[in-house]
Amino acid sequence: MKKILFIYRLFLLGAAAPLLAWPGSVLASGTGLMERINHADEPLPLLPVQELPLKTVLAKDSYQGGDFRVLARKGAISRYRCSVCHTDKAAPQVKDGVLFSHADIELNHGRGVEKLACIECHDEKNRDLLSDAQGQKIDFDHSYQLCGQCHFRQKRDWLGGAHGKREGFWAGERLIHNCTSCHNPHSPAFKSKLPETYSLPLDD
Amino acid sequence: MDSKRKKEGVMKREHGAKKSSRRSFMKNLSIAAAAGSAGLVTGGCGLSAEKSEEMGLAWEEYFKKNYRLMSQEEKDETVARLERLAKLRDGVDIQMASQEPHEKVLYGYAFNISRCKGYMDCVEACVKENNLDRKTKTQYIRLFEMDPGKLDPTSGEGKYFHEVPVENKFYMGVQCFHCENAPCIKACPTKATWQEPDGIVVVDYDWCIGCRYCMAACPYWGRRFNWGKPEVPKEEINTKQHYLGNRMRMKGVMEKCTFCIQRTRQGKLPACADACPTGSRVFGNLLDPESEIRFVLKHKKVFRFKEDLGTEPKFWYFMD
Amino acid sequence: MTTDRKKGSDFIKDCLRWSLAGGTGFKIFLAALLLVMGAGLIAYLHQFQTGLVTTGMSNVVSWGLYISNFTFFVGVAAAAVMLILPAYVFKDKDLHEVVIIGECVAVGALIMCLTFITVDMGGPLKVWHMMPGIGLFNWPSSILTWDVLVLNGYLALNSLVPLYILYCNYQKREPVAWKYKPFVFLSIFWAVSIHMTTAFLYQGLPARPFWNNPLLGPRFLASAFAAGPAVIMMVLIVIKEKSSYPVDSAIFSKLKRIIVISAIINLLMLLSEVFKEFYAFTHHSLSAQYLFFGLDGHDALVPWIWTAISLNILGTLLFAFDPTKGNPRYLMVAAISLFTGIWIEKGFGLIIPGFVPSPMGEVVDYAPSLNEILITTGVLASGILVVTLLIRPALAILSQYKEADG
Repeated sequence: MKKILFIYRLFLLGAAAPLLAWPGSVLASGTGLMERINHADEPLPLLPVQELPLKTVLAKDSYQGGDFRVLARKGAISRYRCSVCHTDKAAPQVKDGVLFSHADIELNHGRGVEKLACIECHDEKNRDLLSDAQGQKIDFDHSYQLCGQCHFRQKRDWLGGAHGKREGFWAGERLIHNCTSCHNPHSPAFKSKLPETYSLPLDD
Repeated sequence: MDSKRKKEGVMKREHGAKKSSRRSFMKNLSIAAAAGSAGLVTGGCGLSAEKSEEMGLAWEEYFKKNYRLMSQEEKDETVARLERLAKLRDGVDIQMASQEPHEKVLYGYAFNISRCKGYMDCVEACVKENNLDRKTKTQYIRLFEMDPGKLDPTSGEGKYFHEVPVENKFYMGVQCFHCENAPCIKACPTKATWQEPDGIVVVDYDWCIGCRYCMAACPYWGRRFNWGKPEVPKEEINTKQHYLGNRMRMKGVMEKCTFCIQRTRQGKLPACADACPTGSRVFGNLLDPESEIRFVLKHKKVFRFKEDLGTEPKFWYFMD
Repeated sequence: MTTDRKKGSDFIKDCLRWSLAGGTGFKIFLAALLLVMGAGLIAYLHQFQTGLVTTGMSNVVSWGLYISNFTFFVGVAAAAVMLILPAYVFKDKDLHEVVIIGECVAVGALIMCLTFITVDMGGPLKVWHMMPGIGLFNWPSSILTWDVLVLNGYLALNSLVPLYILYCNYQKREPVAWKYKPFVFLSIFWAVSIHMTTAFLYQGLPARPFWNNPLLGPRFLASAFAAGPAVIMMVLIVIKEKSSYPVDSAIFSKLKRIIVISAIINLLMLLSEVFKEFYAFTHHSLSAQYLFFGLDGHDALVPWIWTAISLNILGTLLFAFDPTKGNPRYLMVAAISLFTGIWIEKGFGLIIPGFVPSPMGEVVDYAPSLNEILITTGVLASGILVVTLLIRPALAILSQYKEADG
């Protein structure tokens, strides 16, 4: 009987031995990730990063109390300056009809009766500028000011970083895409298309 | 016990002997490369000089330590050997980094499931950036097309190939979540996978023995195994590499997403976040209260995948 | 027979002679084994060159035939304890006679286990990375390191103890109890630990709900204590039929009792698992559904598992109601039936469904490649060879010793 008891204890020991591995690893498990993140409230110095060969402007809004830069827009508009054609003269000389009448632009912004017309964003008098509902003149490089008047939720997220994207670097001075860097202002919804690639397994 | 100690002694002595030859090798490296012949280790034996140099380098590579135990000097040496081997074997000039983590940086990722359109630019960029095997189509990122009403990617369709976005569907991306309490690290019998101080879970490809226990332990299917020799067309190889990142893997080792360690340690965004045309991917320093990722965690309602497992992924999902 | 004490070199020479000498039948048997092993070796060289892409495994089902067999043969190895325990603790004379056979089977099974792990590795040349001292051994965190320790320890125990006893017997003297008895008792709980540790390998993975189940370890034990003695019974029947070594029929009835009890416990636990999975079906039960009924049109394992369960029940019933009262042929059929049933169930049926569906919900079937099967049969053949070559000299020494004794 005694022997059985002894063997029984040996059995228990054998079965329990691998368990010794656990307490250490369980205790070491990172319980404090969120605590660690939330405790990090000291602003950090900017890490130096290489400069990008891109035209940027200092945003007129602030980000978490600090400055940030956005990608410039004007250089990307092929027909800028608009005032080259849009002069005070009543009828500009039209040689290349489609190009100069903007017939290539598909305007699909807003829904139903809310659908926007050119003049609701472009300034009626000075075509080199945009203007918002209050008639405030807005530079093309700062179009987010215009977009934000309707899309204020998106703008709030964009200012913080939950909408839109950074250019190139997570580090260094904050440089983010302008609204128009990603969205075509005349037809801002993303188009449907085939994906860039596909994932395996496709066969089963 | 005795014999083991003896063996270790032998190893150490060999190591010392190797070191000196290695140093002279390092000195000769540029000359040797220029001359195209080194005849360093074996020389003769009917082998071409390049072949014998390659074998010598491979021999030294075989006996190197786990990356974490290497001194900076040893890291530089192995990086030099690997660059030379890439030239000898594949005729590619690579630049390999062993850049250390930055202080006070902990990387985190957030994915906007109401923005992603399923275009898969991220997947494609990842494949190119990280020199993923083209033959078996290895991908670190999976995108799932999801039906409304469910938030679990396991119920999604990961094999779609049609015009996206589809009406009334949403898209959810998964990859390695760089868990703070990663089951894969605990499983590895040789400590070939670990978490760097900046939170990236990496693999020392040369130390991995290919047992695939980490793969079984990962609840997110975040790891990929090289069943054969990975193949990347020579002209498509990304030559900017990191020892723990996108350097060419060999057959029989594990690999995984490294948050593009070769990019992120230089301050760049990971290739997936950089490539995303919809801005669904937010990446940044979790320890910086002014970072975008912190803004998302603070102002958005976020969730993580399989949170009940206690793995503490550093990858959050959020909605607009 | 000389009465002088013989030297170690004679021992080795004699053992080799006893191992290899035999009739034509035996020679053909050996040649067949070597042939299968050779085919396995060639297949392995191919795998070594090309990589594990030569197998049927994938990123979804990342362990296959090798690890399935490894898992099963850990069980067979542990089963030696079912002879050692009654023989040494309860002083059972009959079982004491055949303890050595159990130990030989254990050594063969362990060699198979270690070989299966090695052929499954992506970088077998890098195993030194795992050796404490020169490599980095992730102990105690990784259960795999525990498994390496317990398997090698068990191999050492099961080779050295019988070696000592046989060497003493060879020299016509009684082995000194205090020199080996502690190790015998150690091996008893060690046998349990190799099993539990191997189960913990799977059980400790919350990523795989099919494995992450506290019954896994105990069920491993129960099935091993049925399948292992079944193997030993098969070996004993062969010895009884083919050699002059006396095998008492009382041994068979005792083994039968052990097998029946273990098999019934195993079936009960199976029932308990099936109930848990299917009474309240959760998404954690998908693996079980894949195994038993198929999932999303994938049903590669369904015929296997039902065959396994049928063989399991058949074997158990045959052992439980033995109308022939120990006819070797009848027992052979029962043992093969039970052994095969548990083999499929503990191998394929346990490992593969753990991976299906993948953590991302994808269902991919697994079927071993021809190369993989050749390697597996090669390893099995080497296991059989080891057992054969160990048992023959062991029995020769024992019968000589008994003659001299008695």
